[in-house]
Amino acid sequence: MIVNFFILSPRGDTIIAKTYRQKSNSSISAHERSHTEAFFRKVKFWDGVAPGTPGMDTTLGLKSGANTGGGGMMMNGEGKKEEKKRGDAPPVFVMPDGYSYMHVKRNGLIFGCATEKNVSPVVVIELLSKIAKVFKDYCGTLSEESIRKNFILLYELLDELLDYGYPQVTQTENLKAFVYNEPIVVSKVADTGKMINPKTANASAVHKPVISSVDTDGRKTSLSTNQKNEIFVDILERLNVVFSNNGYVLNSTIDGCIQMKSYLAGNPQLRLALNEDLTVGKHPSGNSAYSTTTFVDDINFNDCVNLSEWEHGRTLSFYPPDGEFIVLNYRMTGEFKAPFRIFPSIEEAADGSNNKLELSLHVRAEIPDNHFGANVVIEIPVPNITTGASCSVVSTPTAVGVHAEYVQKEKKIVWNLKKFPGCTEQTLRCKLSLGGVCTSQVKREFGPINMNFEIPMYNVSSLQVRYLKIAENMPGYTPYRWVRYVTQSSSYVCRL
Amino acid sequence: MAPKDNPMGGSAGGSDSRFFSTSKKGEMHELRMELHSTDRTVKVDAVKKVIASMTVGKDVSSLFTDVLNCAQTANIELKKLVYLYLINYAKSQPELTLLAVNTFVKDANDPNPLIRALAVRTMGCIRVDRITEYLCEPLGRALRDEDPYVRKTAAVCTAKLYDIAPELVKERGFIETLHDLISDSNPSVVANGVAALSEISETSGRDVMKITASVLQKLLAALNECTEWGQVFILDSLAKYTPADAREAEGIIERVTPRLQHANSAVVMSAVKVILSYMDIMSGAAHQDSIRALTRKLAPPLVTLLNSEPEIQYVALRNINLIVQKRPGILENEIKVFFCKYNDPIYVKMEKLEIIIKLVSEKNIDQVLLELKEYATEVDVDFVRKSVSAIGRCAVKLERAAERCIGVLLELIQTKVNYVVQESVIVIKDIFRRYPNRYESIIATLCDNLDTLDEPQAKASMIWIIGEYAERIDNADELLDAFLETFEEEDPAVQLQLLTATVKCFLKNPEETQDMVQRVLDLATEESDNPDLRDRGFIYWRLLSTDPEAAKLVVLGDKPVIEDDTFRLEPNLLNLLVGQIATLSSIYHKPPEAFVVRNKKGATGADDIVGDDEEGDEEEYEDENDVNRGGGDDLLDMGGLSMNDNAAAANNYGSSRLEADMFGAAASAAEPEARMSKVCAPEKSGGIELWAGFRQVSGAVKLELDVRNISSQVPVSTLAVQLNKNSFGLSPATQQIVFNPPIPAGGSGKNSVELVVNPAMLVQAPAGQPASPQIQVAIKNMTTGLVFYFAVNFAFEALFSPDGALERSSFIESWKSIDDKKELYGTVSDLPPASTDIDNVAAKFKAHHIFLIARRPVPNAEGQEVAYFSMRTTTGMVFMAELTFKNGVNAAKVCLKTEQIAYGVQAKVALETLLRS
Repeated sequence: MIVNFFILSPRGDTIIAKTYRQKSNSSISAHERSHTEAFFRKVKFWDGVAPGTPGMDTTLGLKSGANTGGGGMMMNGEGKKEEKKRGDAPPVFVMPDGYSYMHVKRNGLIFGCATEKNVSPVVVIELLSKIAKVFKDYCGTLSEESIRKNFILLYELLDELLDYGYPQVTQTENLKAFVYNEPIVVSKVADTGKMINPKTANASAVHKPVISSVDTDGRKTSLSTNQKNEIFVDILERLNVVFSNNGYVLNSTIDGCIQMKSYLAGNPQLRLALNEDLTVGKHPSGNSAYSTTTFVDDINFNDCVNLSEWEHGRTLSFYPPDGEFIVLNYRMTGEFKAPFRIFPSIEEAADGSNNKLELSLHVRAEIPDNHFGANVVIEIPVPNITTGASCSVVSTPTAVGVHAEYVQKEKKIVWNLKKFPGCTEQTLRCKLSLGGVCTSQVKREFGPINMNFEIPMYNVSSLQVRYLKIAENMPGYTPYRWVRYVTQSSSYVCRL
Repeated sequence: MAPKDNPMGGSAGGSDSRFFSTSKKGEMHELRMELHSTDRTVKVDAVKKVIASMTVGKDVSSLFTDVLNCAQTANIELKKLVYLYLINYAKSQPELTLLAVNTFVKDANDPNPLIRALAVRTMGCIRVDRITEYLCEPLGRALRDEDPYVRKTAAVCTAKLYDIAPELVKERGFIETLHDLISDSNPSVVANGVAALSEISETSGRDVMKITASVLQKLLAALNECTEWGQVFILDSLAKYTPADAREAEGIIERVTPRLQHANSAVVMSAVKVILSYMDIMSGAAHQDSIRALTRKLAPPLVTLLNSEPEIQYVALRNINLIVQKRPGILENEIKVFFCKYNDPIYVKMEKLEIIIKLVSEKNIDQVLLELKEYATEVDVDFVRKSVSAIGRCAVKLERAAERCIGVLLELIQTKVNYVVQESVIVIKDIFRRYPNRYESIIATLCDNLDTLDEPQAKASMIWIIGEYAERIDNADELLDAFLETFEEEDPAVQLQLLTATVKCFLKNPEETQDMVQRVLDLATEESDNPDLRDRGFIYWRLLSTDPEAAKLVVLGDKPVIEDDTFRLEPNLLNLLVGQIATLSSIYHKPPEAFVVRNKKGATGADDIVGDDEEGDEEEYEDENDVNRGGGDDLLDMGGLSMNDNAAAANNYGSSRLEADMFGAAASAAEPEARMSKVCAPEKSGGIELWAGFRQVSGAVKLELDVRNISSQVPVSTLAVQLNKNSFGLSPATQQIVFNPPIPAGGSGKNSVELVVNPAMLVQAPAGQPASPQIQVAIKNMTTGLVFYFAVNFAFEALFSPDGALERSSFIESWKSIDDKKELYGTVSDLPPASTDIDNVAAKFKAHHIFLIARRPVPNAEGQEVAYFSMRTTTGMVFMAELTFKNGVNAAKVCLKTEQIAYGVQAKVALETLLRS
């Protein structure tokens, strides 16, 4: 499997490095260090040329057979010189040292490893993600500082996570029995996370490590007494929607998951029940918006979930592992009721001058009035020749924190709404002045409009948690259950 | 065990990073004092400081003994720290590590399973021979430990040991023990057992997993219970297994299908791999329904992978790229999920585009064009270019949609965005080649944009279009003339196109362009120092000056229409890569040999494997191993290449002698007998004993079977034979073996099966490892319905073809051209007297199609003589051997060279076996 593992800081410093396999003909750590550095440079300044990836050639390789003297073009895309380009490096590529390097980025840190064999990259990438997750569970947060402070703990963890490069115990829960160092909590960073949610005030609770102390015989004890007995359940739906300029939905999917973070004492078995009418498979008509049954295209479950009651009753039972984990993922396509609809229009200025444009944007929230969109950000890229723009907002009094401005540097208009109440329509009007004549080409440079938002306590699909309860009746055992629904935009775009 | 203290407690509080801040002088001394402290907290802190220094690259090896002393503790935290230190320094301080042996051995017997496991795990990581010696005892115990944590650690440790000392693992029977672990009660142990077996198979090149019916059942049972990683290992092992028939395949698939719902995408991907590779076995009309059902089942999990983190998406997309080529049906209705999201990383977008092109059809082309048009207005230049190019590829792929695609391209050209225009020109040229004389109306639009073109490829494309359609462009000559002004500064590709286009233009319109063509020919032949350009210039010149009509035929001849290249992987490569799904191969779209770091196992390593079964093969698409047939060097050059320092003296030896000896060996006309070996005991096969061997009979490879009916009451009459995929691609020409009359109990009969080489039966050898000589055979007794399996080592000499004698000169050429790395050495001792004489050997070899090329005495070495032989397999692999004999010594040195080094061991074994026989 993998030869080594390392974590690099955003500046390329090696924070953690461990070698799992030594070559018989000695390799010195300094040598490896230089390889890691070379790797970092490759990632940082990705030039689009993956040494091992032939898929990047963009031109049509012609199988024209013999090019008889007539001078048919030789056009195999070879010798195509691209200007140096920047972009994210793909997660898998070969380096000149002959090793394949794989990495994932988490919180700006690079979790990477190298291998000489023809391993499964999916395994390695899943593994790297798991390592990041375990580190986060142990340290509370994932940052350069927290890793540096806990490095001995993390080396100990790495010893248990992997042996000879093979994944071993990768669940935070099960690791506890073998790990003796204790985490040093880093004072919480100001980063409040993306999910601002007034209904669960103790958002910082999810930033504490899940590890409790160890008792005298070396095995772990149950949670210490002062620990709160609580469990967080998130039903999280991320929306991918593409609207055409007349408001018609071109493409839409929901990526959903039920995610938990358990701090329950005694690790009781839980039962989670979903809508009884939940059906797995494509909706026959492809339109589930007004249907009574809930259709999901596909669903998959965490390892720990017992599915014996799934077919009949749509109930899952499981012993929640410690730390954050995803109970299930689901995916829905087909039309659903988009929470926001976007109606843009661009007109040439009424005064007849050909270097001014008027843009108006109506956004309607089609969610019930007791819900609202939070932290709504709408970005409208404008043509390059724009020299200035004035924005005016027509908003309902219930909307909070409304602000729109033109960002000259990025050539776009940014419209913020801290709170976008349901069943309302907000409007933005902009007058743009252009540095040249407005042609149809210039107009084409508008868009696509991109919208970011989060809707607390609301989900677009009709998937519901009927109940979450402790399987056995344990008198006096009353954990706090924090269930929340969150809808987020993943890619919410309107084309112009 | 003592209570565990909190090392961070009290005054120590803070963080581990304080360990880094020891920069005072004499810190080593200070640390040493602390390491010897009686206070455990101080001790623990001191070890942590040492490790902190170690991790930032400071040399703390001088504290080795001091740290080692700390291992004498019952405190597991301290112990773990010490072990962490030990592993790191075992390499640089092997002598010192020996001091730790006692600690290891003691800890391996500790009552605490964690400590037992820790000791075994650590010993396995220390690659010091003498530690390894001490490892076997504890490892043997640990493999059978009552605690699963110890067993699972021991399983991985076996793989470590194999890497250091394979013979120890074999001697101790650890591989058998690993097999037992597959049915262990603990899922982690099963996972590591399977992982260790796979690892050993890979390092050794032998199939130690040996999936038999019972192992298969064990694996399938374990699949449900195993950890997620274990499931991956099991699935990967299953993917390497070839089910005997479609029914078995279907049965396994049924057990594997639930894995498609796993949250871990690694499990999903490996399950997909198993199902895809077994689907090939389920060919035929009878299984159409099952195939259809599977096709339906595979789509949702594959699509779900695209909702994971971008890194997983990327890997999934590269794999899906292969899957849609192999089985387009699976995702034909899912094109929408491959539409790019604006926030996808660029590497995901690029891969999605590739798949969109693969899935585009007349049904969805409008939708796709709408998307691509949108992408073409995004910011990222590479992505835009690829989108534009994708539109062109859609046009080339879908004839009926070509016009719509061109419409979109023209629209994009109107944007005048430099790189969009250039990319459009490049793809439009391809469209012209695909649909000649159909869309030339758009040339005018293209000509309006000449100024924008500044990239060689775009320029070259445009010039080609002008030349090709010169008669329809009013001012073609002027346009070309404009380009000619900067001829000398242009890229060679543009220059070549300019040259050709001008000649075309001249042939079509000689009056107006005479000067121009003269100028270009001058530039090309006299001014340029690019050989391609000069050559092409001279050819045109001569053509034009001798026979303009002929020039017309040549230069203006019809060009072959290009094909849609969407499915551009060669079928062979594609099949191979589909078998490699969920490996790095599937990411790079290259066979593993192309990138896997070759592990250099010298001649000794190769010797080790001799006679053992291993897995491997040879890929067909690799450069053919044709020996370079040039050159007429005399043999005297050979001395320099052979293993002795005899180069100079070789001159003395006349070549006449060599000629004489070339084919001088007495030919033995008789077909060689097959070496038979017992392959199947009666208790395995319902009372039938089987002997098998291979030989070549008049050019055909035969599997000779000797059937002895020991105790079967039913006479043996008809057997069906099937070979598993093997390194030689051999498969039976007919499956039935009929014994007429049937063999009653106590009787015996012989039969032979002709084997043919079938590329589909070829199995891939792990890179850098020898191909397996083993052929797995399944025999079904048609009368009793009993199926039994055995493996037999192939006799490689049966594959040597009668035309294997190389020309002497080409032999020398080849011998020289082969890299030293592709050489195998060995000594065969205890030869029968007949094998010490070169004439005898040559005669014997010749019967097996191994040909003597030359022989000569070794200069300066009395009584030594070398002989050179060549052989070629019916599959075209060439081997060359140098045998050295010494008077009065019944041994020979063998040196074998071949480009097909994966098969080198086998050729060598074949030689040695023949020598010994």
